[in-house]
Amino acid sequence: MAPITTASNEETHAALLDTLDMYKIHKPFRNPSWRPAQRRNKNLKQILSEAQRTQQSIINTQQNSGASTPLPPTDGSTTPSLHPNPAQASQDLSRLVLEKNLKQQQNGTIGGATTPGGLGVAGAGPSVTYTSIAAAPSLKPKKKYCDITGLPAKYRDPKTGLNYVNAEVYAVVKNLTTGQVQEYLAARGANTVLK
Amino acid sequence: MPHYTYNIIPQSGRNSPRPAATHIHNVSEPPYSGQLPTDPTTYRHSSPSTAIIIDNGSSSVRAGWSSDPTPRLQFPPLMARYTDRKLNRKLTFIGSEIYFDGTARGQAKNIYEPGSNIANNWDVQEGLLDYVFAKLGIDGRNGEVDRPVVMTEPLANLGYTRRTMSEILFELYNVPSAAYGVDSLFSYDYNGGLTGLVVSSANTSTHLIPVVDRQPLISHATRLDWGRSQCAEYLQRLLKAKYPGLLTSGKVTETQIEDLVRAHCYVSTDYESEALRMLDWTGLEDRDCMVQLPFQEKEVVQKTEEEIRRAEEKRKEGGRRLQEQAAKMRLEKLVRKEQELEYFKQLQEQIAEVTTKKEVRALLDEEEFKDEADLERRIKEMEKSIRKQRNKDVGDLEEEPEEPPSYPLLDIPDAELDEAGIRQKKAQRLLKSNHDARVRAKAEKEAEKTRQAEVKRVDDARREADLDSWLDERRQARQDILQRIKDRDRLKQDLGNRKSQASQMRMKHIANLASDNPMGRKRRRGQNADDDGFGADDADWTIYRDIQAGRGQDDEDDEEEDFGAHLKAVEAQLLEHDPGFTEESTRDSQRDWTKSLVHAFLRGPWPFDAESAKESNQFHLNVERIRVPEVVFQPSIAGVDQAGIVEIAEDILMQRLSGMPEARDAMLKDVFLTGGYALFQGFEERLREELRAVLPFEVALGVRKAQDPVLDAWKGAAKWAEGEGRGQGFVTREEWQEMGGEYMKEHRLGNVFT
Repeated sequence: MAPITTASNEETHAALLDTLDMYKIHKPFRNPSWRPAQRRNKNLKQILSEAQRTQQSIINTQQNSGASTPLPPTDGSTTPSLHPNPAQASQDLSRLVLEKNLKQQQNGTIGGATTPGGLGVAGAGPSVTYTSIAAAPSLKPKKKYCDITGLPAKYRDPKTGLNYVNAEVYAVVKNLTTGQVQEYLAARGANTVLK
Repeated sequence: MPHYTYNIIPQSGRNSPRPAATHIHNVSEPPYSGQLPTDPTTYRHSSPSTAIIIDNGSSSVRAGWSSDPTPRLQFPPLMARYTDRKLNRKLTFIGSEIYFDGTARGQAKNIYEPGSNIANNWDVQEGLLDYVFAKLGIDGRNGEVDRPVVMTEPLANLGYTRRTMSEILFELYNVPSAAYGVDSLFSYDYNGGLTGLVVSSANTSTHLIPVVDRQPLISHATRLDWGRSQCAEYLQRLLKAKYPGLLTSGKVTETQIEDLVRAHCYVSTDYESEALRMLDWTGLEDRDCMVQLPFQEKEVVQKTEEEIRRAEEKRKEGGRRLQEQAAKMRLEKLVRKEQELEYFKQLQEQIAEVTTKKEVRALLDEEEFKDEADLERRIKEMEKSIRKQRNKDVGDLEEEPEEPPSYPLLDIPDAELDEAGIRQKKAQRLLKSNHDARVRAKAEKEAEKTRQAEVKRVDDARREADLDSWLDERRQARQDILQRIKDRDRLKQDLGNRKSQASQMRMKHIANLASDNPMGRKRRRGQNADDDGFGADDADWTIYRDIQAGRGQDDEDDEEEDFGAHLKAVEAQLLEHDPGFTEESTRDSQRDWTKSLVHAFLRGPWPFDAESAKESNQFHLNVERIRVPEVVFQPSIAGVDQAGIVEIAEDILMQRLSGMPEARDAMLKDVFLTGGYALFQGFEERLREELRAVLPFEVALGVRKAQDPVLDAWKGAAKWAEGEGRGQGFVTREEWQEMGGEYMKEHRLGNVFT
């Protein structure tokens, strides 16, 4: 543990502890009979996968409403169910959003973001989700930069895959251990991950 | 056609190392800034519609009354809740107050996961809200917070998050009404924006939201997952790779890295060219930032002058004493030897006097001598040794008279001698050959010495005769040695690489040696089938040298491999006689750190002393200053697989809004920057230039920054709460309880319902 900050000694520290402590302060504005839900701390991945599952089930029910046996979709632009893989499912969802927006635009309703995206359209997902907002990968060619120094690099070491800028840096690259090489590659997102 | 070539002018001279750095930055102290005050006055004077505005940011929470001009509370979203063992009571600390204690700092939890702006830890969120309400002086008379609350949320917030937050507000705190909004839209509205592209670059993400006629087009908004916290993480990674071992956890904390990013990083206007020039020698001391970590000086026992002198004297004393003792002992030995000699001489006289052989025999046996010749020899030896010692002690070395020993028996042929004689003859022959060998060796040594002196003389003569060609010869020799050193190193490296030529040749040799039908070994007719004649020729054994993979490690054994010593000798000669060859041209200073890019990168334009603890605990930020903020323009630098903000803006403006050219043109006139990332120097100019490059030339472009990129979101929310929000955007508790947990009211500065 890091030491106590230099500007304190034992007494002042204890006094400060007392003044800063929030636990002992009476909080009358809290509802004393309220209990939080169990396991409500969820990280982003969990929330997203749950949201996808609910969306999927909504789409399924909307699709099947009124029919006893599920029919394959005649409308080519909607997909019946989302891919089980969450990453893939999120992309499917994004595609749904884009298609729906496209349809809306074609129908002449532009700026459909202000109205609640027309959930009446059967089989459509929400218009805007957290994942659909995410930026797409870049279409421009990527510029290479030296992994060691950060300068624009022209050369690549075939053995390790690191980019380097001149012969001197190459000498450094040749003497790196595997761990260091992976560290440099990880900074670029190009390291090999063993699952 | 005549062929011209330009002379390549080599880089002149050595770059001059700079004087010591003027400005050394230290890593920051933990950001404990005292306790935030509790001030209930505003509460008491407020009307029931004065809202509490809370800007939930991942870098800091800003909270205050909507009637205030600025948020009165700003603190990081951290909470430390633990039981102190010594005092045995539960403690809770919020915000920057945790930094006053190390234990608290260790136990701190953040609302948000690192790198995300979606609330994760709701206990911490509750703790923070408690803190905010307590500091604002809410007395909670009716067991509730009785003022409306406005909170900010991320764009396209997830339903679950909003529901849980509403639950906390309405059920735990019994807030009468609450509203949610997007912070960047608040900021834009506060800065008087009507139509424009809002670029909000914050702590965990960067959003681009097109706004037309005060209405945001959320379906065209885009989020790039890069912000100041990712910058700090990236800088930490870079530094860890650059200075291995220096940034182990505990030495540099995250807040320190964030402060470094804030203090030293900036956005360059033209990354490629600026990065190329960043490590140029001229001006490097201005661009390079030296950061000093706390260090401990190594214990160097500084002996004072006096102590050194005293130690010296003591040592000499000891030496002198030993010398005296040795001299005394030698003297004693000498005396004893002389006594013995006397005794033997007496014995000899006695023998001469005594007549009978028997008595001679008896006398000799007493002293264990074989016969008189033996005694004679012994006496001679003793005399010689005494003389030698005398000479040593006295100091002058006179040449002893070398009597060539005589071997009389060797001349007599074997047949004439008896058995004892033959034995003696053999002994004499042995002695003679030994003596001869010694004489020969001495002669050879002398010859060698004269030969070397001769060579040196010739060399000197040649040098004096024609200095230039001699120098050229020496320089050539030096180059040769350098070349051979390089070759040897390359060979060593090649042997390490499995696929290289040298390595494959080696395997071929080994296979050849081990095989039954080795190549190139013709069996001579008449020999054994198994015998391939290996080893008959001495040169065969050298193959074992070649295949020894560890070649080069025991170079010191082999004299001709000792390039280092050769090089030094040649360089010494050159130093002595060549006017142009100075200390600096010797090989050691050829590896000149002032010309080295890697040195400039690691240590700036200053010399580096690996022994000094101070210097080993420094690091230099030069390229990282521009590399780290650059990622928002080129996310592939850090491995983020998304487009940069310029490409995103281009995509939004050119493609998605291609159906609305008027709106697009109006939007481009007002590109609005907000968020903490916009505080980086040079961000605005860079964005302007890049956008200018991708847009059609006739379109007018205007880029502006919020007046206060960090606080304007809160101010915008306050203004909205006082103004138009009052009617529309707030969800009352009753409505919420009726409509369900995810109920929200849309308004033009907030999210849409999903």
